[in-house]
Amino acid sequence: MELDGIIDWANKNIKAEYVEIRGEELSKLNIELKDGTFSTFTSLKSSGFGIRVLAEGAWGFSSTTKIEELKDAIEKAYKMAKAASRGRYEKIKLADIKIVEDEVKSKMKIKPEEVDVQEKVKRMKELEKELKKDKNVKSTRITYQDTSGTKVLYTSERTKIVWDMGYVWQYIWATGKNERGMAAARDEIGSVDMGWELFQEENTNKVSKRVLKKLNAQLNGVSPKRGEYPVVAGPIIVGIIAHEALGHLAEADLTINSPFRDLIGKQIAPEFVNMSDRIVENGFGNNVYDDEGTKIKDVHIIKNGILTEIMLNREYAARWGMEPNGHARAENYTVPPIIRMRNTVFERGDHSFEELVEGIKFGYYLVDFRGGQAELNSSFQVGVQEGYIIRNGELAESIKDTSISGIAIDALKQISAVGKDFGIEMGRCGKGQTAFVSSGGPHMRFDKGIVVGGQQ
Amino acid sequence: MNLINYGEKFFDELEIAKYKRKEVSVEVELNQISMSSTGDRAVTVIRGIKDKKLGIFIVDSDDEGEIKKGIEQAAKNAMANEKDEKWEGLPGEQKYNAPNIEINYEIKNASPDFFVNLLNEAIKDVRARDERAMVAGGAAGSSWLEMRISNSHGIDIMQEFGSTFMYLYVAGRAGNSVTPGIMDFDVRRDMQLDKDFVVSSILEKLKYAYNTKKSDKNVGNVVMEPLALAELLYFTLIPAISGERKVKNTTPLSDKVGQNVLDEKITIYDDPWHPMSTNPIIADDEGVAARVNKIFENGVFNGFLWDNYWGNISGYGSTGNGTRNLSTGGIGIGVHNLVIEGGKKSKEELMEDMEDGFLISGFQGAHSSNPDTGDFSVVANPAFKIENGKIVGSTVFMLSGNVYSLLGNVADISREQRKIVVMGNGVIPHMLFENLKIAPVSR
Repeated sequence: MELDGIIDWANKNIKAEYVEIRGEELSKLNIELKDGTFSTFTSLKSSGFGIRVLAEGAWGFSSTTKIEELKDAIEKAYKMAKAASRGRYEKIKLADIKIVEDEVKSKMKIKPEEVDVQEKVKRMKELEKELKKDKNVKSTRITYQDTSGTKVLYTSERTKIVWDMGYVWQYIWATGKNERGMAAARDEIGSVDMGWELFQEENTNKVSKRVLKKLNAQLNGVSPKRGEYPVVAGPIIVGIIAHEALGHLAEADLTINSPFRDLIGKQIAPEFVNMSDRIVENGFGNNVYDDEGTKIKDVHIIKNGILTEIMLNREYAARWGMEPNGHARAENYTVPPIIRMRNTVFERGDHSFEELVEGIKFGYYLVDFRGGQAELNSSFQVGVQEGYIIRNGELAESIKDTSISGIAIDALKQISAVGKDFGIEMGRCGKGQTAFVSSGGPHMRFDKGIVVGGQQ
Repeated sequence: MNLINYGEKFFDELEIAKYKRKEVSVEVELNQISMSSTGDRAVTVIRGIKDKKLGIFIVDSDDEGEIKKGIEQAAKNAMANEKDEKWEGLPGEQKYNAPNIEINYEIKNASPDFFVNLLNEAIKDVRARDERAMVAGGAAGSSWLEMRISNSHGIDIMQEFGSTFMYLYVAGRAGNSVTPGIMDFDVRRDMQLDKDFVVSSILEKLKYAYNTKKSDKNVGNVVMEPLALAELLYFTLIPAISGERKVKNTTPLSDKVGQNVLDEKITIYDDPWHPMSTNPIIADDEGVAARVNKIFENGVFNGFLWDNYWGNISGYGSTGNGTRNLSTGGIGIGVHNLVIEGGKKSKEELMEDMEDGFLISGFQGAHSSNPDTGDFSVVANPAFKIENGKIVGSTVFMLSGNVYSLLGNVADISREQRKIVVMGNGVIPHMLFENLKIAPVSR
């Protein structure tokens, strides 16, 4: 393989501590159906190499689309590292990992490239038709995307991994209008482990019903009362709280600047609360190795209420004196890997849904979200696109667009019960780069700590 | 044979858009430079139409052979697509009216050493002036873009742009508590990045951020800083001025042209050539001539923005607002440089009469707003409490409302404007709002 020779050349000619070549050759399909018209019908060929060099204790990065320019790209990354080293007083070191040579095979049963494009088109049209059967739906945008191809990682330490990689992804935005006003609903599904078979499970009928439920709940909803109330959060909301409010603080590059830094090993939640970033069935963040070649391990972020582990790459593992756990991820070859979540979930408890809502005189049951964001001071915000009032322990009327907020380290202490069910949702996280992630968990009850925004 | 001629063998109409970007970036993590990177990337987008069927192909290359293969693949995509009976055609030849735009070629070959030095000095300054401050993140760098749009109707326009940027994200740690991260930045079309401004602006806020102030108010007067305002408008107002939504009747502005929609103090236009613009385009991503478009004048809604496709359908024609998504190759309607005219008072004067109010520097969750209705429910963070005209500490609170109600009742606008590049380009002032409903989050 040509890349072996280039690594040999780099080991001989570049005075670096570490050289990494990440290559990709991917074919993508992106189709967008907007109100009866396929407004984009695009295929894409993306191939290139991202080079990362650690020299004189600092990182340099470059990228190229041409294999014949790889040596130049390595030299450029080396020069970049030397330039960066002038701004460091503490040299970057990498924690050791087990060096592997491996080939990661796709788990997809029906690879998207095996499915005729006309079948994809047909499915999107069916989905649009089903959505528009509802007289309240005024506009829809359905995006379908799939990718397949090969990714490789070759390093100066002789890590050599070849991935047969791909994903399928579908995004829906539906706008509705009735006599009470306008509303919109978002729905997103995707998989790296399932191919076209995902859409056999998530058939057009199931997806459209889910979208319409969210949309009509808002169209017919009331404005929530703003303030702090008891909240029962469903798996999707629990997941986004796990991701936004806590997960980001447990990414080692952010932990170091967050309140979590001084809380590792301490009780931060009731002892029945457990939260992990781990491989889950059909998780959108699943993989075998990360983009530094580290085997992925489950990370028990909160264990019996104690902040226990954080997500690491090799650099931060060395800094913290811990073992890397496979959370270095890069969106594509044009950018270097950074610490990212994969599938962030609260673990099951033992309460039924009825027990969770029992005794709430006035509160909210929150089901689905539209976007969220966290800050270093552990303040979080989650936009809510499906929610209901709880009145005297019973679900009552739906609520309109709102969001929830809180200070995560305070809200955690207010979890009073954890359900015995479990669910996840697939989405994307933006931290400068986009990463496919999942988040989820069981239903959970927060007695306090969550502020509901509202125009009332 | 040129590539357009080659493509005409496969298509009735064809557009080839080449984007060649050269970037240098130096990043900061935890008070030190963490990485320096460089990238040269060419992306070519082929958009062709055959029998009113659209096909697009994107390739990471500007190589002629690759583009020819891309044209053939785009033709296959067009064959797989369905007829779009609304399709009228790609834009025709244009007369470009852009003023003379000075280009700084120094940016094209900017060295990483320049940005390493700049950031090193900035980190040193921050740490020297506040020993509790941590430069949690930041970056500085340059971006050079050469863009050529050609089509089979005679458009062939080449543009080049250079810009430099610098930002720092600083948090303070006092005991076990961490302040909200305070961010500030500078963006320029030359190499004269103002490091001192960025550092001073951050430290000025950080000194108040150590002192967390709880608010138990449910209603308050609020000054929004330009970045906070831009975040909110990007996800609420900007989508509503898209002509596509007008045609589909999914914007609250559908029947509001010529009507008073916003407070009469507000005038908003899209002006790529504003002296503070960082996006001085000659043509949009379809090669249509750029221009200044007044959107709201003294609160009155002037009209929608259009790309070529929706402009043709509506009969208004393109307003030069076609913007390309480089992930999909598709064209959407976008703003090039959103300018909100300044008022008469200084930003300090907006706060000086405030007995008990708030200053919002940024929002969390603006992206979860509802673009179809203008409803938002966001968290003000970083935000500061103002008492008797002075900042007294930081606070966190939720703000829920509707952008049309918000901008329909503006108490005042500052005369100072700031360049904004986050969430899109803009030139935005501070705004004062009275009696907004809030929900405190800080404990």
